Amino acid sequence: MADETSAAAGTSTETGAGTESNLRTTKPGTKRLFLTVSVLISFLVGAPFLLKSTEIHRSPLPSAAISSLSDHLHSNPPSFPCHFQAIFLSPFKPSDSSLSLSVAERIRAQLSAQSCGNCNFTVSVTVDSGSSCRHEGDAASAACLWECGGGGLVDAIEGRDDQGIDELLLSAVNERTGGCAGRVYSVFVMEGRDERVVIGKHRHAWMVLKDLDDSTSVGSMIGTVFGDYFMRGGVEKGEYIPVGSDGNVVLSFSLLNSNPSDWIYDWDFQRTGEVLLAPVLEALAPVANITMESQVLYHAPKSSISYWDEKLEAYVVNTRDLPFFVNSNEWHLDTSLSASGRSKVLQFVVYVPSASECPLYIRTPEGEISKTNAFISPMWGGVAIWNPHGCSMQSQGIHLVRDVLPPQELEKIIEIFIGQLRILFGLNSNYVEPSPTFKFLASEKGFTNWELDLLYRQHTCFNLLSSLSTLQSLSTLVESLPRMIVMDEIGKQVELSLEAANLAERNISLGINNASALSSIRARALAEDAFFHPSIMSISYSSMEHYFAIYMPFFAPVSLHVLLAAVKEVKRYFAERSKYLAFRASKLKSS
Amino acid sequence: MASDPMGSQLRRILSIFFSLSIILPLSSPSPTMHNNNWAVLVCTSRFWFNYRHMANTLSLYRTVKRLGIPDERIILMLADDMACNARNNYPAQVFNNENHQLNLYGDNVEVDYRGYEVTVENFLRVLTGRHEASVPRSKHLLSDEGSHILLYMTGHGGNEFLKFQDTEELQSHDLADAVKQMKEKNRFKELLIMVDTCQAATLFSQLQSPGVVTIGSSMKGENSYSHHLDPDVGVSVVDRFTFYTLAFFERLDMYSNASLNSLFTSYDPTLLMSTAYYRTDLYERPLNMVPVTNFFGSVMKTIPTDSAYPGFLVAHASEYAAISAETETARVVLEDEADHSKTYDQSEKGLQHTLDEWLKLLEGKLGVKDPEVLVAYGLGSMVLLLTISTWLSS
Repeated sequence: MADETSAAAGTSTETGAGTESNLRTTKPGTKRLFLTVSVLISFLVGAPFLLKSTEIHRSPLPSAAISSLSDHLHSNPPSFPCHFQAIFLSPFKPSDSSLSLSVAERIRAQLSAQSCGNCNFTVSVTVDSGSSCRHEGDAASAACLWECGGGGLVDAIEGRDDQGIDELLLSAVNERTGGCAGRVYSVFVMEGRDERVVIGKHRHAWMVLKDLDDSTSVGSMIGTVFGDYFMRGGVEKGEYIPVGSDGNVVLSFSLLNSNPSDWIYDWDFQRTGEVLLAPVLEALAPVANITMESQVLYHAPKSSISYWDEKLEAYVVNTRDLPFFVNSNEWHLDTSLSASGRSKVLQFVVYVPSASECPLYIRTPEGEISKTNAFISPMWGGVAIWNPHGCSMQSQGIHLVRDVLPPQELEKIIEIFIGQLRILFGLNSNYVEPSPTFKFLASEKGFTNWELDLLYRQHTCFNLLSSLSTLQSLSTLVESLPRMIVMDEIGKQVELSLEAANLAERNISLGINNASALSSIRARALAEDAFFHPSIMSISYSSMEHYFAIYMPFFAPVSLHVLLAAVKEVKRYFAERSKYLAFRASKLKSS
Repeated sequence: MASDPMGSQLRRILSIFFSLSIILPLSSPSPTMHNNNWAVLVCTSRFWFNYRHMANTLSLYRTVKRLGIPDERIILMLADDMACNARNNYPAQVFNNENHQLNLYGDNVEVDYRGYEVTVENFLRVLTGRHEASVPRSKHLLSDEGSHILLYMTGHGGNEFLKFQDTEELQSHDLADAVKQMKEKNRFKELLIMVDTCQAATLFSQLQSPGVVTIGSSMKGENSYSHHLDPDVGVSVVDRFTFYTLAFFERLDMYSNASLNSLFTSYDPTLLMSTAYYRTDLYERPLNMVPVTNFFGSVMKTIPTDSAYPGFLVAHASEYAAISAETETARVVLEDEADHSKTYDQSEKGLQHTLDEWLKLLEGKLGVKDPEVLVAYGLGSMVLLLTISTWLSS
């Protein structure tokens, strides 16, 4: 077409001045040029918009912050500031001034055994007896130093019972350590006739020793109280963290009637259990958000075999058969309505045996009959067997019994459950004293304050490390799938998790244990929510081939045509333009 | 964001390096204890002529339950269209042997994913744990770092894939990826994968995660065959590999400690008509020391409780007595507060009261009964006022 027009123009100019076919008298038209070039330009201008509108939405994850915090936590594991102070209320003349050193050494020997949540401890010794007041060792700060003047305490302690002494010393500690009361562990040392060591239910202990002159033995006793108990909780085994990844724990209490045709028992768990357990749940709030539920089940026999023991006149279950006691086919325990997908459910079961196996006892590995008639399974829960009264006599001539579990018995069972809960959380249910002189006071919260501190430390450390490793895995996963959609929700959860982790770390160094435990739970819950977000499914990301396959069939042919047309039109325009310019030049020459 | 590829590559390499350097020291802490067993049993076929696959899965379900794994720790995925199929001569009964001795569908079969819910996506969601918030707890694989998981899959498969319900495929790299994610999140301590399809061994060729032992019923290029045809039902009722597996387990109960090695070496290639291939390079325990009940049964670790928490009741009683004395006074204070809030409500009511009065007044004045019409009038007059004032000001 273009050639024809130029040919026509050429022929029309033939009648004009010259007869060369490469001249033209009129300027070449620009309409076609504008058309094609504008289409091309619009394609070029629109291309970035197309790319932007079809890009995969990936919410940016702060990978650098995650890896830096992770490295930081691994190189310096979180260590909690614990301050131990020993206060001598009787006159004490040390042979040398190394008491604090020997105490510190004994504590340090216990330090390496623990994996996470170690104490960054300082030790100070104060002698406050009557006229003299002497300090030794290093204090965390001047504010946490014991103010002298407690000389009257020894007299006040005389004649009181242990609970009373505990409360008295608590008020003394609150008064005299000026505000550091929640972060200082104290041991009061007195001289007296009968030697004993009592560890209270708050954060202090006291010991009455016969001979205060041997500073090494005194130091090692003090160090045992601090290191073995306050710092490590008296446990050797590894930590148990029976908390769900969203920070929830459901305690599910079940009463199982093995054979309802023999007898049926009911219980009033709501009243007794909830009243007894409420302080425990409150105390454990920084560790997990705990809820309780209870049920009564019928036709729930055990699945292991018990043997009749002539001597005891009872049926006995050996330790060997305990793993098969829980009859998962008939015990429908996991029917919790309140537990969501990621909560942890701990089962506490009271088993009422049938008439054919009553009374039922558990034999320990040592061959003795278990005092509690109960056992636990770590991370699952515990079972306690309750034999109805007089059941051995009732095996002949049975009439149906429908009864309620007596409240006193229920309270005793709950005491066993508290012991089991302590074991499930990694502590001892009761302390096997190293010598008869040690005594441990019990707390109505199920855990003493110093045990709670220990739990908070362990859980904070575990939660922090776990949340950081989860975030790390998430960020490597996201990086490895460059075309996977990362929703805004995930980005926000990661940010909040990181913020909570940083807050927890700061609170650790300040020594605020419950706040750090709460933040660490939050960090772990958010990190797990982000990692387990249902949109991260690798089979549903769109690969680069997918992207090309959608857009190329349209854009490839069209852009080819547009480009070719533009190129051809530009070339034609410039060719015509050069012809026109040549014509103009020749005209100028001729005129 | 489509940032520069070089930068993202570098970041990727660095992050992988960091994650490795972190994971390596983390892998050395104390080994976790085995504390529970899970089973994920998947039948990937549907339609009447795949009867044997459902029979396979149900037989293994029965075995695993008999040996002690409870329903709450079994995830059973079946198309479940055999028992009540119109072509089934024995309605509501599924057999795995022509002697019809055992009805697999008899009692206590709890299917978690049935029918069209058995998809590759749901399967991968079960493994990786990424469910929507609305999925009930019984459909989750709630394993933890001390769990041993048995994963059994049966159906039609091929070279590096497994066919799901005739519409989709699970590829070996998808499975490997899911297992890798599980391992990263510590969702299992050990995993046993058992696959009964054609060319089964290719399905786990891409696995790299440690702690996984796998066995497939046939190698690449081999088919897996059914065992026998049941002339009454009209289709084959069991596959060879599963048949011999069940024969092995019939002799066991939950107390026995036959080893995994004895299971794996019990397969005879001439009877199976294929080679049962197993892969142990990712598993560090020697197979003859691993009892089969570690995967197929359920052995709880139990510790007798030596004592209760003594003194708890006494402490509670003393504390409770002290508190109840306090609550008496507290109760009085509470009542005062209740009175106070009542007066506050009164004043609030007073305001509401005057507003109602005003409205009633207006209604009376304008003779309008319906308050909505009144409001409309009010708005209309406001608009009128506005236009007049603007006209005046312009």
